Amino acid sequence: MFAALNGLFFTLFALLCAFPFYYLFINTISNNELVASGLVNLYPRGIHFENYLKLLNVRDIATSALVTAGRTVLGTALMVAASAFVGYLVSQKAMLARKTVYRYIIVTMYFNAGLIPWYLNMSMLGLTNNFWGYVIPAIVQPFNIILVKTYIESIPSELEESAFMDGAGYFTVFRKIIFPLCKPILATIAVFGAVGHWNSFIDSLILMSRAPQLHTLQHKLYIYLNTTNDLGKLMESGGTITSDMVNSVLNTRVVRLSVSVITVIPILLVYPFMQRYFQKGLMLGAVKG
Amino acid sequence: MRAVRARGGALASAPTALLRVYLAAVFLSAFVPALNPARVSALIDKNASLFTCAVSYSAIANNFVRAVERGWITRGALVAAYVGALIAMLAVAGAAAAFCMSMGNNKLRRLCALCSAAAGLAGLAGAGVLLAASRAFAAVPDPARIEPLSPVGIPTYFAAFALLPLLAAAAWFSLPRPAKGEKCALAPSRRLFLMLLPFLVLVTLFSYLPLWGWRVSFFDYRPGFDLTKDNFVGLAWFRYLFDNPATRARIGAVLRNTFAMSGIGIATSWLPMVFAIFLSEMRSRRAKRWIQTVTTVPNFISWVLVYSVAFAIFSTEGFLNWALGGLGLIESGANWLMSGSNIWLKMWAWGTWKGLGWGAIIYIAAISGIDPQLYEAATVDGAGRFARMWHVTVPGLLSTYFVLLLLGISNILSNGMDQYLVFSNPANKSSIEVLDLYVYNLGLASGSGGNIPLATLIGMLKSIVSVTLLLGANRASKLLRGESIV
Repeated sequence: MFAALNGLFFTLFALLCAFPFYYLFINTISNNELVASGLVNLYPRGIHFENYLKLLNVRDIATSALVTAGRTVLGTALMVAASAFVGYLVSQKAMLARKTVYRYIIVTMYFNAGLIPWYLNMSMLGLTNNFWGYVIPAIVQPFNIILVKTYIESIPSELEESAFMDGAGYFTVFRKIIFPLCKPILATIAVFGAVGHWNSFIDSLILMSRAPQLHTLQHKLYIYLNTTNDLGKLMESGGTITSDMVNSVLNTRVVRLSVSVITVIPILLVYPFMQRYFQKGLMLGAVKG
Repeated sequence: MRAVRARGGALASAPTALLRVYLAAVFLSAFVPALNPARVSALIDKNASLFTCAVSYSAIANNFVRAVERGWITRGALVAAYVGALIAMLAVAGAAAAFCMSMGNNKLRRLCALCSAAAGLAGLAGAGVLLAASRAFAAVPDPARIEPLSPVGIPTYFAAFALLPLLAAAAWFSLPRPAKGEKCALAPSRRLFLMLLPFLVLVTLFSYLPLWGWRVSFFDYRPGFDLTKDNFVGLAWFRYLFDNPATRARIGAVLRNTFAMSGIGIATSWLPMVFAIFLSEMRSRRAKRWIQTVTTVPNFISWVLVYSVAFAIFSTEGFLNWALGGLGLIESGANWLMSGSNIWLKMWAWGTWKGLGWGAIIYIAAISGIDPQLYEAATVDGAGRFARMWHVTVPGLLSTYFVLLLLGISNILSNGMDQYLVFSNPANKSSIEVLDLYVYNLGLASGSGGNIPLATLIGMLKSIVSVTLLLGANRASKLLRGESIV
């Protein structure tokens, strides 16, 4: 009895979590007119995949996808490299004023100046309406530095010492010994960093107000969700219109749903493979203390 | 002298120490917009620093497209301003390099003195080019069109770079002649420090420098104007915050929303723990893993996407109306998202949908860490399933729960703004606006009509309260558990 009720509850909750994604997806591959009047609910009807082909032709969305992918790859790579290197440096007992500089970095996790000073500062540094505004501020992540440092400190120090004996410099030791050994923890922070970059929306909204070509996908989606314009027309005129496209109906609801699916698919695709890293990251965060 | 040598030149002579501090100051000055020597016209963004102007020509030339086309200013003058900024910035970079060298042994320090002198001379050249550019701007036939300025940065940099070779010379003559065969060397401790330095600069720029923006709350600031003595208003915005009835009422509502939504979250913060306990009671490992995977997915999609999901399901053509209509419960579809009722609970429900499965993972891990012998002992003592849950599992999870609860309490003012921004609409605005969203709406959302100083002030007060709460939570944790949480 208990087992049955328990199983039922969890099955229902899992369905509640999964169904919306399924619902979005079937609505983007079904007959667009049926979708517009809300008649596709449990299974796809009139399956076709034109919506996606059409959206990829829309320059607005293609640019956003490129910007988002670009910041995800570049931002994550720089963040991971910096976390690894800084984590390594602050684990070196020989460093001048090590404790002080470590605290100087870490304490920034616990306070922030607030939204407006952040915006004024970014604008002062010339990072508004500028692609680098996405990437550079996110390079140093104190929390990730803690994770890497803790991990490095668990590596037997004999490995490093023997390399120093052989005359290797700090940088060589980092590149040849520490970096390869840290790969599991770096994979974890990379996954979190990439999801954060891909999902980011507020920085695009606030920093890039005068540079629509730099809006992220999430921001574009937000705009589409809030516009009362006929997005179908917007899309048709923004893309390259061929005769058969004119005949098909691309309406506001379809556009919103399709852009949503494009935005969510990378996450859903990588998620099952990355799950182990996600969970490991959470554990590490918990034991960090 | 002997002592100095013995420590690898670790002790600096007074002139070298002075030079080092001076070099750091020169480096930092390149990031201060007020000192930007390249702002030779009011059309150049007053927020641009020398660094910004040197890395991008467009920072200088952006607003001159029309002026160049109409012949109000020659392109040459713009390029001169850029080249001057570039040379000055290279000199600053030289000063930064010299700063690094000043950390080394005697020989490296002498090199530092040379490098400083060279940077000083290069900087003088850069300032000279900027002066020429500034003169060219002032000398156009119709100056009103391009609003020439003579930036305070130019004489400042002339003086600063002129002083640099003098200090360098003083340092040079204070340092002993290097022994024959002495090589440039840097102590490992300093080498490590210098490798970290670029990252410390990044932390300073993006985490500490914004604090300087708090001064805005003491001025009557409008975007595009300077902070000067004339618009310094002291504590006027503090008084406004408490005296203006409209603002007071709105902040009252905002605080009510903030505390209500945080409060509901805290009151239900045990849900993930219960979720984990019951999930771990499931027999099939496969089913457990599946459920865990599926229920954690929503945590990894953005709030915009959550809103899009909500939109798809709860709008007029959405799933809910179809389902309710099919069951004969409603006559015609409604757009459920436009309703303004029960917003606090709805926001909590979305937050729970997104975060419950993820929040449970930490407890699932904690459960797997509980000693199985405890369960066996309890069973032997005649404890049933629920007794084991209550007397073995729950006590095993309480310390984790306690930490998360304290963190939740210290975050009571910070709900974030993503969720509330995407879900807000005219119908629910009054009950959805939390503190973070209010600061955004007040300062930035309305474009140039926003009240930046008041928004800054509220953000500042919020930060201070949050840090205090966090320290309080930490103190409480130390008292009650003997461990700190931050």
